[in-house]
Amino acid sequence: MNKAVTIIVQFIGLYFLYWLGSAIQKVLNLFIPGSVIGLILLFVLLSFKVVSERWIQQGAGFMITHLPFFFIPATVGVISYAYIFKGKGILLIAIGMLSTMLVMGLSGVIAQMMVQKKEGSYE
Amino acid sequence: MSNVIIGLAVIVATILIYWGSVNVYKKFRHIYTVPIISSTLVTIVILLIFQISYETYMIGGQWIDHLLGPAVVGLAYPLYQYRDILKRMLLPVVTGTFIGAVVGITSGLLLSKWAGFSELIINSIVPKSVTTPVAMAIAETTGGAMPLAAVFVMIAGIGGVLIHPFVWHYFHLNHYIGRGVGMGSASHAIGTATSMERDDLEGSISTIAMVLSAVIVSMIAPGLTELLL
Repeated sequence: MNKAVTIIVQFIGLYFLYWLGSAIQKVLNLFIPGSVIGLILLFVLLSFKVVSERWIQQGAGFMITHLPFFFIPATVGVISYAYIFKGKGILLIAIGMLSTMLVMGLSGVIAQMMVQKKEGSYE
Repeated sequence: MSNVIIGLAVIVATILIYWGSVNVYKKFRHIYTVPIISSTLVTIVILLIFQISYETYMIGGQWIDHLLGPAVVGLAYPLYQYRDILKRMLLPVVTGTFIGAVVGITSGLLLSKWAGFSELIINSIVPKSVTTPVAMAIAETTGGAMPLAAVFVMIAGIGGVLIHPFVWHYFHLNHYIGRGVGMGSASHAIGTATSMERDDLEGSISTIAMVLSAVIVSMIAPGLTELLL
């Protein structure tokens, strides 16, 4: 019971940051989603110790563990778009895979090269 | 009043379906049994059998939808947890993830544009390499369809897990930094889960890359899309 109360109270804190992020987005007319602005805000507040890790630990942990639950209704919406994957639409799966391969390979190679260069310089 | 009852029924049913799918996944760990896919499929089948429209379902669904924003805010916490590794590896991880974000947006957009797909589809494929709630938020601002964006996110997640052994081989990814950045940038939470199962360090780098990628893609996707479309 106590744990549930903690999660709910901490969730309200996360909701407040989401609300604040959305307000900032509207006021400054930004294209970055309010939720992502809230994420950046929370990271900054944690880094400067304005917000203690303990204040959000359980709430954030719970939300992230069960993240898929929160977007089930959205993914079910694909029911209205099933027609897109008929016929030529199959090509979209290949495009998605090819692009994913490029992202994984290139981002990984760049990061790895930079680390090995850095580690090499200490030798 | 009846809307409240429908809403509550949808929420209870969704909790049960999710709970069931998590338990199935615990028993049969496989890339095709990840809870989001089985929950979505079961829900769709139920809607079709009982001829419930998506609009009716969303009377309750929108309440759950409403919690996505705060969940995204919560992603700051794992990033903060791994702040020490992030600080040590800042430049390689940020640069790699940034390159991944640019490559993902550009290749997804250009390939689907050359194949002659509509702008609705192109804008939905652009944010596919980031975690679903952020990808949907990006698709919303750039004129994509949120459920379609979610499908492409699944393709990137599952596709990435399936092809990663080949990618590692051909791109010579043998360091946990390269592997973690690749998995997190390309295949978000689904890739990160796979990395976590193999190696803690690779998993933590993948987590960092996943969160950074969500932030970077949401910053550059609208501009790049406008430029290339």
